[in-house]
Amino acid sequence: MQARMPSESPACETVELQIRRQDGPTTKPYWQTFVCPVRPGANVVSLLMDLREHCVTQDGTRVDPVAFEHNCMEEVCGACAMLINGSPRPACSALIAELEAPIRLEPLPKFPVVRDLMVDRAALFAHLKRVKAWIKLDGPWDVHERAPRVSPKEWQANYLYSRCMSCGCCMAACPQFGPQFGSQFGPEASFVGPAPLAQVRLMNAHPTGRYDKAERLHAIMADGGLSDCGNAQNCVRVCPKAIPLTTAIGELGRETTLQAFKDLFGPH
Amino acid sequence: MSSSIENSHFLLRRLHSLLGLVPIGAFLVFHLWENSQSRFGAAHYNDEVVGALQGLNYLLLFELFLIALPLLFHAGYGLVIIGHGRAEPRRYGYLRNRLYWLQRLSGVGLILFLLLHVGLTRIAGLFDPSISADLFTHMRQALAQPAVFALYLAGLLLAVFHLANGLATAAIVWGLTASAEAQRRFGWVCAGLGLLLAALGVHGLLGFLIAPAAGGGA
Repeated sequence: MQARMPSESPACETVELQIRRQDGPTTKPYWQTFVCPVRPGANVVSLLMDLREHCVTQDGTRVDPVAFEHNCMEEVCGACAMLINGSPRPACSALIAELEAPIRLEPLPKFPVVRDLMVDRAALFAHLKRVKAWIKLDGPWDVHERAPRVSPKEWQANYLYSRCMSCGCCMAACPQFGPQFGSQFGPEASFVGPAPLAQVRLMNAHPTGRYDKAERLHAIMADGGLSDCGNAQNCVRVCPKAIPLTTAIGELGRETTLQAFKDLFGPH
Repeated sequence: MSSSIENSHFLLRRLHSLLGLVPIGAFLVFHLWENSQSRFGAAHYNDEVVGALQGLNYLLLFELFLIALPLLFHAGYGLVIIGHGRAEPRRYGYLRNRLYWLQRLSGVGLILFLLLHVGLTRIAGLFDPSISADLFTHMRQALAQPAVFALYLAGLLLAVFHLANGLATAAIVWGLTASAEAQRRFGWVCAGLGLLLAALGVHGLLGFLIAPAAGGGA
């Protein structure tokens, strides 16, 4: 295939791309610079897809294609979150035309790098499990109830939290989140992070989920729970879905205060 | 994971938050009000303010259980909390994130300042009775040195900031302010309170220097 060097097509607009690469989970990261042609309406994911076809650095060296994750291309799956010019955000909704060049791409911090821009977000799922972010719909028995009703106002508030796509941007920006802050109890006791806390807020408000409210509150009152939040509030600033994470944290603060009161003085 | 009262983590964090407000924060307000009376001169300050306090029954118990021990716990546990986070004030330049960083920075600064401050007044007073007998003159002579004045001014501003910002975040922690608007509104209330306390404190510091020296013998 004929190389499409930017210099050969002066009519085509190009952009400089600086990518922090890492060959494996334990190898040292290094930077590479690429000059990529930009198609109208391109975003970071589409640029990386184009780059994959023709992965040649600025100085003409052919290198391994850049590993990255993507899926929905409409900011609902969360797979493509990475650091773009220093801010954590989904790459698919980061339009090249709106970004300052050169564009710096780094893997999402706080999560272990698998390769290049691909990170392992298993911790996010583990933390969702820690806070019991699920709803027990039914047991092995027949549930004779119809779906409970929710007022439109309540539904509207809950909907905001249901938009979470587990991209991990809030966790990446959180100064309290990180496996290195596992305290004496090991990394599994590190701060659960804003996204799982917001899910506790959502599940506790669910007409069926509220039956397990105390269990979830107890889960976030343990090590690495809500009390590890430092109120830096970066989470709510970087959330691509504009989820009111800090409102959830404030509401959970109130709920845990009441729960502690109940635990101390009853009724349980 | 065990539940709240069987797990010390939640209780320790909330205790840290509570002690920062009461008694430590409350004591700071009282302390600044008390010392703001320095401008009424040596006689008033030594007899009516310091003297009245020194005459309190069970003073040592109050000092130990309402000031020293809560402060030691708040400072010690605060250092543990600092170890559990890493601020990135430059990457995320949002106000609350900067305040997060400053809260930790001021906490460490305050520990250093308080070691000096308590050492030079209360502890020194144990060994040299003339200091507690005429605290006004002792402070006047100390604050007359620009370096000491600057140190006290820095310590005062750190303490006032730490309390005002701590009050704003404690309101979120305890669940008083949940919505973003409420947090913003209360943040302004705390900022106002901080400015008021800072003014009161600076007034007190200057009072030692500008007050009539009658009886003080400076």
